[in-house]
Amino acid sequence: MQLNPNLSVRRALAAATCTLLGSAAQTSQAESTDDQWRLDTSVLYYSEQNRVTVVEPVVFLRKAIGEDSFLNFRLVYDTMTGASANGATPTNRPQTFTSPSGTSSYTTPTGQTPLSPFSDQRIAIAAEWEKPVDRMRRTVYGINASTETDYTSFGLSAKLLQDFNDRLTTLTVGIAGSYDNVMPVGGTPVPLQLMSTIVAPPPGGEDEGEGGAGQTKIVTDAIIGITQVLSRRALMQFNYSIGYSSGYLTDPYKVVSVIDGTTGATLDYRYESRPDTRLRQSFFWETVYHLNQDVVHFSYRYFWDDWGIRANTVDLHYRLELGKGSYLQPHLRYSVQSAANFYVYSLVNTDPVPAYASADYRLGDLTTTTVGLKFGIPVSPRSEISLRVESINQSGNGSPDSAIGIQKNYDLFPTIKTAIAQITYTGRF
Amino acid sequence: MHTRSVFTRRGVAWSFLRYLFLIGLATVNPIFAAEPAPAFTLPGRNQPVSLAALRGKVVYVDFWASWCVPCRKSFPWMNSLQKRYAGQGLVIVAVNLDKSRELSDRFLSEVPSELTIAYDPDGEVASAYKVKGMPSSYLIDRAGRIHSSHIGFREETASDMEAAIKDLLQQP
Amino acid sequence: MRTRPLFILFTLLSLPACTLTPVQPWDRDLLAEEKMQLIPDPTEAFIDEHIYFSKEGSSGGQGVGGGGCGCN
Repeated sequence: MQLNPNLSVRRALAAATCTLLGSAAQTSQAESTDDQWRLDTSVLYYSEQNRVTVVEPVVFLRKAIGEDSFLNFRLVYDTMTGASANGATPTNRPQTFTSPSGTSSYTTPTGQTPLSPFSDQRIAIAAEWEKPVDRMRRTVYGINASTETDYTSFGLSAKLLQDFNDRLTTLTVGIAGSYDNVMPVGGTPVPLQLMSTIVAPPPGGEDEGEGGAGQTKIVTDAIIGITQVLSRRALMQFNYSIGYSSGYLTDPYKVVSVIDGTTGATLDYRYESRPDTRLRQSFFWETVYHLNQDVVHFSYRYFWDDWGIRANTVDLHYRLELGKGSYLQPHLRYSVQSAANFYVYSLVNTDPVPAYASADYRLGDLTTTTVGLKFGIPVSPRSEISLRVESINQSGNGSPDSAIGIQKNYDLFPTIKTAIAQITYTGRF
Repeated sequence: MHTRSVFTRRGVAWSFLRYLFLIGLATVNPIFAAEPAPAFTLPGRNQPVSLAALRGKVVYVDFWASWCVPCRKSFPWMNSLQKRYAGQGLVIVAVNLDKSRELSDRFLSEVPSELTIAYDPDGEVASAYKVKGMPSSYLIDRAGRIHSSHIGFREETASDMEAAIKDLLQQP
Repeated sequence: MRTRPLFILFTLLSLPACTLTPVQPWDRDLLAEEKMQLIPDPTEAFIDEHIYFSKEGSSGGQGVGGGGCGCN
């Protein structure tokens, strides 16, 4: 029986808030044509080796209204299938996992990393309105919403851009908030409850699990940034962001293996539990430099939160002009993250139960390396097609010192390889 | 950790204050009215364009470039103005600031114009006119004095500019 | 020292004061190009943020305006 959509996708929905602050507002000053419309249609194909596959068409539309105002629309449709790690570690026998309501289960063969299967579709829409207040000031207002089987999100954002210094300096302040509702199919687990204590409901009895009590989450973000033109060829940006999430931040499908302190054999599982608040902050620096024809984008971000996660990320794009408007753009991204303070590989059965625990690899000590290449070619004076392929490699320590007994025979942090391909048509008319 | 460099706390504080001061200063936009318009002679499409030779006419000097969207939008309006008021003594001089003639030529082939085009690729005349944004326009009366200046182009405010031009044309 | 982040912030904010000759409005031809924007391709940036948000523990940071030709 198929289990339920993976929360990783739902967490991505919250990203709609962040990315609404990362809008197309800044391009309004640099439209190189006076066309009324810009249309970007893309299809993303995303594939994690042996895990999740996503096909995602995205449509982005930008319309000029009046003199200096713009409307932006974005529509995203995802189909997701596959399976992702549920946090349990591989062991020397098959493993069976049960939903909190006790009504469904799935099994993992011996020695394999347990994965929970799912299949789902999601639709997300976003709209933005940019308008000038006066010659040196603009505002951007945004709204977004998304929905899938058991998750809905609704958000608003506002941004103010103030120019100084004959528009060589721009100060931006932005805020965004979203209200999310999670209705885990299979029920919401009691935090850190042992899976062995779940009983299937009596046949014919009322099923409280399916679409049960919804869990809510509120996410707020604020950003302040300065953009400075340094020379005819160079631009620099420096941002500080802060965000606060509160509500249900746990992944209801992830578990933590409970192992025997001597043999390392898996005895049981506890549903994971994360704190119900999270304070996130980041410093972000980007520089853009125009060589003779080519353009380099380089950025660095330092992220930290009150879960103990620290992450350093560098990103480099080099746009190599090939002539006649076509280009090749290699991309490198390197990110190193240190684990959340409640991240564990597994729990020992005789240890006291911690306040919070999660074995979700995305909260662990993680290194993500991306190598990509994009090729773009104009198909008319005002339109272009581009193809981008990237390879993302995520790795961590699969043989930690804390591994006990038979755990040492297994890779407790398997490397995840992902390939993406994106084809985009951009047209102006 | 007291290093003798600009990175002392005091050095940084002063730098930051200086930055705020510069920003404050730069947001004040100097508009100089009733001063004689700086003279210039620039290469044109067929022959040099000289402001002195236009004394007695009402001259609308517009600084533009092909990469500037509002500049491109202003051309149809300027073309129409020139046609309608040439008889009364209006001369529009569109000073091009593109770094290469090829870029402005390409623009003019897409948006044909009978305006007088002058080429200022090094921005010397633009500097003399203290151009603060693109496009910038300067309305010069028949005596060669700057009547008013304007940064940017918006169709909604173009009619105000047209009224000012009509006024000046009526004056001797 | 605890005021170090603030220190760094002010130093970076003072960077513009180091711009000896401000860029003239007519010298913003290169900055006006689409590929010179801080986010040259909004769809690609959206997709990447979506991908890394769902694969890592960190997120966000970008998303402000400025640069460009400074016209109008």
